[in-house]
Amino acid sequence: MRFRRTPFGAPGSRRVSVRAVRAAVLVFGASVTLRTLRAQETEPDRLARLDANTRFTIHVLMDSAEMAGLPSSALRSIALQGISLKADSKTIVAAVRQELANLRTARTTLGPVEPEELTAAAALLHAGAKPGQLEKFRVRQRGRSDLQAFTIWADLITRGVPSEDASSAITKLWDDGADDATFLSLWNNVQSDILRGLNPGAALQARVRETPGRPPTAKGQPPEGQQENTRSE
Amino acid sequence: MNEQRVAILTLTAALLIPAQREVAAQIVSKFEAGQYSVSDGVLPASTIRLAPTFQFEMPHAKLTARGSAFLSDQQLQIADGIVSGTFTSPTVYGVRAEMIGNASRAVDERSLGTDQVDVQTRVHVLFHQNGGVWLGGGVARPWRVAVVSSADVTDAGAWAKVGEPTAKFGVATLTTTFTNFSFSKIASVHDTSSASLSCSTAAPMVEVSSDMRALLSESPGVSACERQSRFSDLEASLRWEVGALELSAAMGHRFGDSYDVTPDSRRWTSATATVWLSDRVAIIGGGGRQPALPLRGLPARSFGMAGLEIAYSPISKTAVPVSLPHAVLVRSFETRPAVNGMQKIVIRVGGVETVDVMGDFSDWSPLTLTRRGRDLWELALPLSPGMHQINVRVDGGPWMSPPGIPTMRDAFNGEVGLVVITPREHGSR
Repeated sequence: MRFRRTPFGAPGSRRVSVRAVRAAVLVFGASVTLRTLRAQETEPDRLARLDANTRFTIHVLMDSAEMAGLPSSALRSIALQGISLKADSKTIVAAVRQELANLRTARTTLGPVEPEELTAAAALLHAGAKPGQLEKFRVRQRGRSDLQAFTIWADLITRGVPSEDASSAITKLWDDGADDATFLSLWNNVQSDILRGLNPGAALQARVRETPGRPPTAKGQPPEGQQENTRSE
Repeated sequence: MNEQRVAILTLTAALLIPAQREVAAQIVSKFEAGQYSVSDGVLPASTIRLAPTFQFEMPHAKLTARGSAFLSDQQLQIADGIVSGTFTSPTVYGVRAEMIGNASRAVDERSLGTDQVDVQTRVHVLFHQNGGVWLGGGVARPWRVAVVSSADVTDAGAWAKVGEPTAKFGVATLTTTFTNFSFSKIASVHDTSSASLSCSTAAPMVEVSSDMRALLSESPGVSACERQSRFSDLEASLRWEVGALELSAAMGHRFGDSYDVTPDSRRWTSATATVWLSDRVAIIGGGGRQPALPLRGLPARSFGMAGLEIAYSPISKTAVPVSLPHAVLVRSFETRPAVNGMQKIVIRVGGVETVDVMGDFSDWSPLTLTRRGRDLWELALPLSPGMHQINVRVDGGPWMSPPGIPTMRDAFNGEVGLVVITPREHGSR
């Protein structure tokens, strides 16, 4: 009869080290995982990640916005975006200040519009549009939204179309009664032209000329069914 | 066998039941059916294999239920089910922790079946999103097998990803894993070469039950004993994706003494090919050899299979946390009206493991999309009417504006995508 000794040696020698490693890995992994999950569950406000001074400044700016009847949620969103992108406190405060200034300008220019329209106009100003270029949008048909126009406008400036060219093109289409689909079609065409190597400004002008629109209304008079925002800050 | 049949049918039915929108956004599932040929002596030479899989995903956790049933002559020959829960921490400085818990049951006509519960923790270290290593440890507790103690399971591995999904030769992932198992088992007093073996000094000779005797191939009246066992598996695997073709191959070697490792489990090789006919339908074929799984009471087997995979929402097969920071791989992006005023974000990007979006609608916190097809990702969101800013990233890479929508410079010198939700779109359904 042949007997073999167990290859693992005396109980408690190598097994201790294997168990110790396993236990260490188990405890470390469990603590990291649970701590992270718990931290995410209990985090009340992501603004709390900012230092006290920055957080105070952000709250003051948000209070200012609310007192002026502006959507403070837009300021909070900018701050949270900065936190997610790991921007430094100084940059975040500057961005929130700029957003508040843009919202004020948008309100002055457009009048008492809905918060989402105000936010879109502020984004357009941030993209590079001038306040005076938004004046045309103070007058609009009841139920007509200028959000898509603002979006395409902001994109065109971002792609290198001169601000004046973008403004005149979008304003012309707006006056012609272009709908959202027309603005999107224009954007698609200009984008493909730019990708083919055309100058952004030239591509836009060419595409606007071939974009159909309704006949413009009499200059200075809102068309039938349109209203003017008369109140301003 | 009724219990297993009901379990398989329930799992299969769960794949077909439409869920609420919030839940459906986090569910992925697939169903495999095909002809399976084996040579393990347990199953008939040729059977039909049905394998449903169901997964519920959350940002840092997922719950998976997976089953397989082998049918022959309309009789269920063997059923195998496993429920897994995984918690994953976010990656911090390239380090990620993972906790895995599994509960499984395997039943066949021959034996009573086996059960196992195991818990495992892994710590991953990622290198530049294209490679990594991990170290893990855990405990597995089997029942109704020859193993009579908890098994210490320690594993370590390394992986590397080569190529890119858009490259001519696709992308390949190479993985090497070393897993060590240590446990006590009731063993025959003879090894596989009929040589007599000693028992553990602390474990006397024991009389084995008839079921255990069948497992040990012992004659009545012959004793077995409890013995400390250990074996280690070294496995190398390759997963290669090029176009609609996915190839997986693995080869391994089991280290251990002859009374712990049977000759038919010393080496194994297997390969599987998947050809995607569409986003949700694929043909699968393959074959090879699988080693015995002592903790689950499953013998070594050679197999060949050919079948069809119907993926309502296919689950990624990659076994390692592969990441590629290439948001430029995103082929298309669109928003569609969904039920109850929700908007569905639909993104097409192939060869990646995760797709996230963030924007003003999420307070700029990342939201993970659910894979709905081979390269189709979706997420339902309550987007209010207005202009929304949105960014996308894949595999934890840099945030970028999605393709195909207007963009603008954001307040932090980056670029952000712009999505307009009109009141009509918001209330369209």
